Amino acid sequence: MPLRLEQQEESSLLSLEGMIDIACAAELKQLLIEALSGAKEVRVSLGKASGLDVTAVQLLWAAAREAKASGLEFALAGTMPEPVLKALGSAGFHEFPVSAGIS
Amino acid sequence: MSTVGSVDQFRHSFCEEARDVLVDLESALLELNENRADAELVGRVFRGLHTLKGSGAMFGFDELAAFTHNLETAFDEVRNGRLAINSELIDLTLTALDRIRVLLEDNAESAAAEAGARAEILARVGHMIGAPKTALSEGSPAQATSPAGAIRDWHIRFAPGADLMRRGADPFLLLRELGQMGGLSLRASMAALPPLAELDPERCYVCWEMVLATAASQDAIQDVFIFVDDCCELTIEPANPSEDRGPGELLKADATARALEEHRTEGGGRRTYDKADNASSLRVPAVKLDQFVNLVGELVTVQARMSELAARRDDPEMAEVSEEIERLTSALRENSMNIRMTPIRGTFEKFRRLVHDLARDLDKDVELTIEGADTELDKTVIDQLSDPLMHLIRNSMDHGIEPSSLRTARGKRSTATVHLSARHSGASVLIGVSDDGGGIDAEAVRKRAIEKGLVAADAPLTEREIFALLFQPGFSTAKQVTDVSGRGVGMDVVRQRVDSLRGTIDVASKPGLGTSVTLRLPLTLAIIDGLLVNVGEAYFVLPLAVTLECIELTRADVERANGKHVANVRGELIPYIRLRQYFGIASEPPAIEQIMVVETEGGRYGFVVDEVLGDCQTVIKNLGRFYRHVQVVSGATILGNGRVALILDPERLVQEAVRTLAHGPRGRPVAVSGPGRKRDGP
Repeated sequence: MPLRLEQQEESSLLSLEGMIDIACAAELKQLLIEALSGAKEVRVSLGKASGLDVTAVQLLWAAAREAKASGLEFALAGTMPEPVLKALGSAGFHEFPVSAGIS
Repeated sequence: MSTVGSVDQFRHSFCEEARDVLVDLESALLELNENRADAELVGRVFRGLHTLKGSGAMFGFDELAAFTHNLETAFDEVRNGRLAINSELIDLTLTALDRIRVLLEDNAESAAAEAGARAEILARVGHMIGAPKTALSEGSPAQATSPAGAIRDWHIRFAPGADLMRRGADPFLLLRELGQMGGLSLRASMAALPPLAELDPERCYVCWEMVLATAASQDAIQDVFIFVDDCCELTIEPANPSEDRGPGELLKADATARALEEHRTEGGGRRTYDKADNASSLRVPAVKLDQFVNLVGELVTVQARMSELAARRDDPEMAEVSEEIERLTSALRENSMNIRMTPIRGTFEKFRRLVHDLARDLDKDVELTIEGADTELDKTVIDQLSDPLMHLIRNSMDHGIEPSSLRTARGKRSTATVHLSARHSGASVLIGVSDDGGGIDAEAVRKRAIEKGLVAADAPLTEREIFALLFQPGFSTAKQVTDVSGRGVGMDVVRQRVDSLRGTIDVASKPGLGTSVTLRLPLTLAIIDGLLVNVGEAYFVLPLAVTLECIELTRADVERANGKHVANVRGELIPYIRLRQYFGIASEPPAIEQIMVVETEGGRYGFVVDEVLGDCQTVIKNLGRFYRHVQVVSGATILGNGRVALILDPERLVQEAVRTLAHGPRGRPVAVSGPGRKRDGP
């Protein structure tokens, strides 16, 4: 499964693997909404992601913005692969994921 | 609409558009072969290849993108004056286009089978451009595709529309394409991003502000967006028109920031794609169009039935509605037929390649000239024209056109010409294939036909009849054609196809000067305007386009003619055919019959019928396989009263009637004389 959500009492861990693109965008949106509901901390693991398309970036961006507005913590678990960061940078998303409000 | 379905649909759409690009590329390459110094043509080829590469990558045709990349590089070298256009490069690129066509089939097996051929092409291209360049890789081709002219900054704003992602397009790939054109500085704006709950996960809300430093033209930049320009907002304008910079100068960060700031504050002077233009035409699968025309055909039939019902009832209101429906159906029919009408240009243009390749293979110098390429005819007709035209052109080049040395010896221009033409003539279109070759040796054809037993040794044949023998099945094989130094290979195929299109073939040839083959084809195969007639209980439809007039035939007229089936129409003798007799209809004729006078290739003839019931829009239905050899009938139609009427082919009917009635196989022999000629007095 490329998308997996593990929820504990007050924290959610969303693991994204492989290519995260429009094919799984609807599912990602649903999981992000679930992750944000009832949790104080949401962590997203992108360590095994091979790429993000613009729909994935948007969803993470919107989720991080919503978390911040609600006083939740939205953080990256581990590090992002260098090629993925480079590809996002060359698409104008410099400093991602920090620029998206993901700590 | 599911995303996967949409992506497939747009991949399909890309394939269709890419095939159009290939046609244009082929045409540009062949023109370039004639005018090798034409920079405009080099640019056209480069842009075509660039579009295929970029859009191919965007829609997941990675193999195609990688393969095209090296060709694009070669033409970039040509643009920069580092590589000269030669026959090898043209031929290599033409061959590469064929390989790209296979890749567009999206069939892994056939693509894999051609991997070796593609590798060979790439190796040869690599050898020509001096260094073997491998497949497209991120970042590396920037230098390869950057022209060496003056670099200038372009300010680009790109805001994808709601459907861009669903159409299978990926903005990141477009940006990568742009990055390969030069130095790209960009910033993504999330200002339009809605709250998570309201966010459509399959839509792109991001918009990009960019500055691109490149020597590429504005057109080339726009080409990157060619497949998405109808679903995005795009502005491309010079960031600082007064300053062109030399190559090698890097894009400065502050200049970028300034340009972005200027753009944000200026607002005016933006050039956006004209959405109205983009929406002014759309691509529809031919099968949908066929369904549409079939439905209109059904409607025409039902409307005819309604008109008949309305005529039978004395109800003015119903008559009014029926007339209105008739008017609308007629307009709808006209419209639907117009939609199917397509210029023949595409079919003609693709023969440039055939002529180029054949000229090379036969070592002849031949140019193709085209006239009337904008002539429109039914798509179904066009689709079936390719094969016959190909055979005619092949024959022309193989057997008609002499080798250059012989042409020169005969005092002719060493470059021969094959001329393709199209023009309308009434309800028909005339397609011509002519050449200025050696012409057909009519006597040699006649001898060959006698040898083959196709005609009797003493048969008096006109030149036209002799030329018609060329289209007889069994007249020729390749060897025999060479023997008679004439035509023949595949000519029976031409005739079969033209027959199936209800067309005719006419050949004219002058020894030493050339040959001209003219195909007369109906404009459409779906619906015709006809005249409905009956003979006893049988109904027939005659195409209105060939019908001249209707005259009465009384028993006294018949007696006056002394058994000859000839009518005197204002001094002109018109031979006629009694449909009752020809079709063996067992009923008594009325006292006064009608002669429908029709115009055929062989002159004017009459068909004797009982009554002329009136004009009708007729939907042509095929009679089916069982009746495929019945040539005198081109189809059938269902009348308003539910009965079936046969649609007659006057041309064939006359030919058949003259042949069979004269020999009497259908009954007693009947004297049928030649077509109408004037005589003095009644």
